[in-house]
Amino acid sequence: MNGFAPFLRKEVSETVRTWRLWVLPGFLLFAALSSPLVTYLMPTLLDSLGTAQQGLSITVADPTALQAYLEYLGNLSELTLFALVIAYGGIVSGEVRGGTAALTLAKPLSRAAFVLGKWLSQAAVIVVAAALGTVICVGLTRLLFDGGPAGRMVLAVALWAFYALMLLAVMVLLSIELKAPAAASGAGVGVYAALVVLAQFEVTSSATPAGLPAAGLAIVQGEPAQWAAPLVATVIVTAACLVAAVLRFERREI
Amino acid sequence: MVQHVAATETSPALVALLVVLAVAELALLAWALVDLYRRPTSQVNGGSKIPWLILCLLLQLIGPVLYLVIGRERPAPATAILSPGAAVPPPLAAPRPDAAAVVDTLFAGPTGGPDGAASSGPAVELGAVRKTFGDAVALDGLTLNVPAGSIYGFLGPNGAGKTTTLRILAGLAHADAGVVRILGRDVAGGSADARSLIGFLPDVPAFYKWMTAPEYLRFAGSLFGLSGKELDDRVAAMLELAGLTGVSTRVGGFSRGMKQRLGVAQALIHGPRLLLLDEPTSALDPIGRRDVLDMVASLRGRTTVFFSTHILADVERVCDTVAVIALGKVVVESGIDELRGRRGGLNRLSIEVDDPQRLREGLAGAAWLRTVEAGDAGELLVTCDDVEAAQRELPALVGRLGLALRRFGVDELDLEDVFVDLVGEGRR
Repeated sequence: MNGFAPFLRKEVSETVRTWRLWVLPGFLLFAALSSPLVTYLMPTLLDSLGTAQQGLSITVADPTALQAYLEYLGNLSELTLFALVIAYGGIVSGEVRGGTAALTLAKPLSRAAFVLGKWLSQAAVIVVAAALGTVICVGLTRLLFDGGPAGRMVLAVALWAFYALMLLAVMVLLSIELKAPAAASGAGVGVYAALVVLAQFEVTSSATPAGLPAAGLAIVQGEPAQWAAPLVATVIVTAACLVAAVLRFERREI
Repeated sequence: MVQHVAATETSPALVALLVVLAVAELALLAWALVDLYRRPTSQVNGGSKIPWLILCLLLQLIGPVLYLVIGRERPAPATAILSPGAAVPPPLAAPRPDAAAVVDTLFAGPTGGPDGAASSGPAVELGAVRKTFGDAVALDGLTLNVPAGSIYGFLGPNGAGKTTTLRILAGLAHADAGVVRILGRDVAGGSADARSLIGFLPDVPAFYKWMTAPEYLRFAGSLFGLSGKELDDRVAAMLELAGLTGVSTRVGGFSRGMKQRLGVAQALIHGPRLLLLDEPTSALDPIGRRDVLDMVASLRGRTTVFFSTHILADVERVCDTVAVIALGKVVVESGIDELRGRRGGLNRLSIEVDDPQRLREGLAGAAWLRTVEAGDAGELLVTCDDVEAAQRELPALVGRLGLALRRFGVDELDLEDVFVDLVGEGRR
């Protein structure tokens, strides 16, 4: 791929030097800090609520590290993925609309390098941010609670990362197909919602990417989890989206 | 800047309220932290002080972090901070160097070089190129050949198809039909090989706003495979050529003229064998326009320049050859001088006599005559196919008719007349 390395360097620099660096890591950091904290303080908060309202009695079991991890994974699968879909609606179309793509693609940079450079740089951001967030979450949880399935938690986050990278590939494709970033984000929300619906059915959950978040939750809880097939499907969908994105972008007029 | 305006318009009451809020917030934080420190752990809900400490500090951080991350524009050097629409002062650039000397260094390397200019085949071949956008026909069988080494003016009114042609040549758009070749290489299919030979400047160049000019030139050069000292030298030379040496402002703070000069510089960074310029001077002030034209003129003989414009003076100043395009077709393609002389209507004589009506009657039947019109000052404007014959015979006719000759001369029609004439014909 012509020009891949310099374009990837440009993408990484752009991520570091503009607001793009802070969106997903910001959500991940917030989830990593707030999940153990909220879990830890929830009984106290509910107890205060019960004390304040005469006659209302709320009994809550003592919080555990497992609950903190589940809270974190829940935040990753909902808030963070939603932010991903919104943030990357213009990952390709933004450059095309802004005119910077015309100047860049008139040079011997291949369209494939352009698309894959965008995906890879943001994939790196997601993976690094998820790793840092997980370290913070596990550390804080260990500070507040005794023990906890940290190893299983890391595995669950790794599965989440595959799922997030697939959604990123979907957003790259949508951003090529739909010229308006808002339209791509809207379509991305639709894809995300469809995956959530598919996850509710045993058949689709066990054999499609839709089952990956649930598999992660099951792993953390020490329950049997069907993660292999959804993981393979996720990798296939990711690759398919990237191939389709490259092919479509090669035909696209800038 | 908007922020500055907002700050100066903040009312004293609001400022006082904000100060009270800030003091209250800091006091509450201090109170909570001191209380947390002094209070025995057994009297703290949850049985631990740490989560409450983290909660206090974390919530305190959220607002400032949000502001610092997304609530402000990236700081730029003071010279770049201007209100929208304000004129940007020119940078304190180094004195403009001899463009030809800088261009010499550019085309000395292996990436570009004058071999393209010296090659025998045309630099650009367009054969029966057709391009439509829905029902609109942008290019309708466009055919032209750009000689290697020439500065070729591509002239046409707005909407004639100039930008579409350049986008196809740059690999950004696809022709529906026809042949498109650059230096003998087929452009169809988005050939990176063909793109490696060209430098391209669109009509409105858009750069990554967060980069500085040297960073953008390094990025552009690296996409052409340049690296190390060669890249460093070329970046320095291009900054000098563009008058941007020492300018540390991010490109987002550049004026239109600075962007245009940077655009030319990025297109030249690798010493291209074909330079595609889309209306490079259309929005520049006279000085910026002169600078860009000087740069273009300095490339004569070193590379091929394909230069679209609707500014006729620019074409007359730098181009060797010109094609006039209207409604997606080439109306005429020729040298500048040839263009002025190739049409019968291009030669016009102006003659003033004491009885114009008699002269008009006497002119009837002259073999070289095309038209006779009355001028604004009472003179006759005679257009002809053969100006030399007209110059010989017209005074003789005046003498035979016994008229008094007051004024006689040849008006050479300028390119603007030719352009209007050709475009009008093309549209018909």
